Amino acid sequence: MGDRYSFSLTTFSPSGKLVQIEYALAAVNKGVTSVGLKGTNGIVIATERKSHTPLLEDNSIEKVSTICRNVGMVYSGMGPDARILLDKARKSAQEYKRVYLEEPSVMIMVKEIASIMQEFTQSGGVRPFGVSLLIAGFDETGPSLYQVDPSGSYWAWKASAIGKNMINAKTFLEKRYSETMELEDAVHTAILTLKEGYEGTMVESGIEIGIAYLENTTTKEGDKIQQGRFKKLSEPEIKDYLANL
Amino acid sequence: MEVLLGITGKDFVLTASDATVARGIVVQKRGEDKSRALNKHNLMLFTGEAGDTTQFAEYIQCNTQLYRMRNGMDLSTKAVASYVRKELATSLRSRNPYTVNLLIGGVDPKTGTPSLYWLDYLSSSVKLNYAAHGYASYFCMSTMDRYWKEGLSLDEAVNLLKKCLEELKVRFIGNLPKFVVKVTDVNGIREIEI
Amino acid sequence: MSIMEYNGGAIIAMKGKGCVAIAADRRFGVQALTLGTDFQKVFPATDKIYFGLAGLATDVQTLSEKFRMKVDMYHLREEREITPKTFAHMVSSTLYEKRFGGYFCFPTIAGLDAKNEPYICNMDGIGCITTPNDFVVSGTAENQLYGMCEALWEPDLEPEDLFETISQALMNGVDRDAISGWGGIVHVITPEGVITRTLKGRMD
Repeated sequence: MGDRYSFSLTTFSPSGKLVQIEYALAAVNKGVTSVGLKGTNGIVIATERKSHTPLLEDNSIEKVSTICRNVGMVYSGMGPDARILLDKARKSAQEYKRVYLEEPSVMIMVKEIASIMQEFTQSGGVRPFGVSLLIAGFDETGPSLYQVDPSGSYWAWKASAIGKNMINAKTFLEKRYSETMELEDAVHTAILTLKEGYEGTMVESGIEIGIAYLENTTTKEGDKIQQGRFKKLSEPEIKDYLANL
Repeated sequence: MEVLLGITGKDFVLTASDATVARGIVVQKRGEDKSRALNKHNLMLFTGEAGDTTQFAEYIQCNTQLYRMRNGMDLSTKAVASYVRKELATSLRSRNPYTVNLLIGGVDPKTGTPSLYWLDYLSSSVKLNYAAHGYASYFCMSTMDRYWKEGLSLDEAVNLLKKCLEELKVRFIGNLPKFVVKVTDVNGIREIEI
Repeated sequence: MSIMEYNGGAIIAMKGKGCVAIAADRRFGVQALTLGTDFQKVFPATDKIYFGLAGLATDVQTLSEKFRMKVDMYHLREEREITPKTFAHMVSSTLYEKRFGGYFCFPTIAGLDAKNEPYICNMDGIGCITTPNDFVVSGTAENQLYGMCEALWEPDLEPEDLFETISQALMNGVDRDAISGWGGIVHVITPEGVITRTLKGRMD
């Protein structure tokens, strides 16, 4: 009778738990490690790109993704689930821009995604998402880094890690993180953190990195302004970082 | 040809509506009351498309009374006017809008402060000291502009109303022999003969 | 007769030096008949943004309520004040949502942004924004107001001079429009606060 309380996926157990959420977290903890760090002038998020076979085209995998001009995310857990969330997040960002002609703030994106994830812990006929996300972005409040869990809860971090090697990575970050760190240093620290639990030698195709920073641009009217921007680092850029470790 | 008039006084609202129901060139009735008591201290007068008027007025009346049952308190005149405006504005953009013009008069049951709201079928809502709907506005607004003042007593307000009705009798082509005149004050709503 | 001329009204916004002003007449009428002389056509969105709505009175009221709600919701959701530019785009997309069968209202927006830079704009009934560097006018007295503003406005007016300029433009503009006037209201938005004054005008 172990399945007595499994008639709906989103029903409390007698002890007050929603076991599906715990199972979803278990799926996250089996996932590949991702890290995120906040620097004084930007944010970095990074993850391993694991391929089990040399036959796979490495660049067909994308785990660090852009949500909108100034916000990006990385996931640990189930890839297909993350893709659904990414699609919803991108659409929501464009709907926001459609109304305000302005990029959404990181917090708005986080709230939006978190509320979608929460909905899947309370609706009938669905299961929670098997992913945790690190969402990084740069807006008028500066750089910010958030983690969102399958339950829909979210936190703002200075530095965090999710996935298989989370505990070791966090211990490493606690030792190495400093609040005065600039983006360049943050990228290095992110790579070093990933290296801790990395099997084999790290090459540029084996990791993905995304950064959020302030970019100097010119508007259509010709005004010079600074704007938050999220971008993925290219393989040559990652190669340079790896060489300078 | 329908006429609604409203005058605020010191602690009351005096309203008058013509008692004639006409269709085309035929008078069908001479004793119609074109008003509904929304609650103890608020009265709504209406003119417009036959059918729409009573239908809409009763809908509003039912809902204000339902509000009292649910919440154990009455809506203020301002709240009623806002509610009615919202209903009418929503209706305006529907497939078949209500064609009704309204006056909503009432007093604050504690202080006796009167207020009078003028709403047209487009759902424009304004708070006025004295108001008129229909052709009457072309005849009576100027009379009320001239004689209305802050803090009218009931006698003074009735006199002003008589002046307005007299003006209609003299200059208006329509024949409106009877008016239903009501006073709304802290004691409630009552009909008076003038 | 156009539905935009059913109730009448006039609105101006002007840029000054580190300040903006917005003004409107106060008449409420139905065609040639004046019923009220204290009708509100300019509304606060935040402490530093005011918007005016010219056109059909019912839509002035409906939209002012709608924008108040949207600004309040923005404030709660985003935990920050909306900027004039963002507010203008919100107004614009709200209007364009009803592109076919829309509101008969032309909004005017005046405000100071986060850096206290002046911002003014106005738009048509379906949300097409124009952002000039001097002044914007709308309402049934639009043509008269253009003439007045063109004659009186000059760059870099201080708050008190801006008040005088916008007041003169409004009062003299509406005197040549039969369905605008009956007093006016002026808001001058400065970084220190908003100066609001009502104007007495011809009441005929």
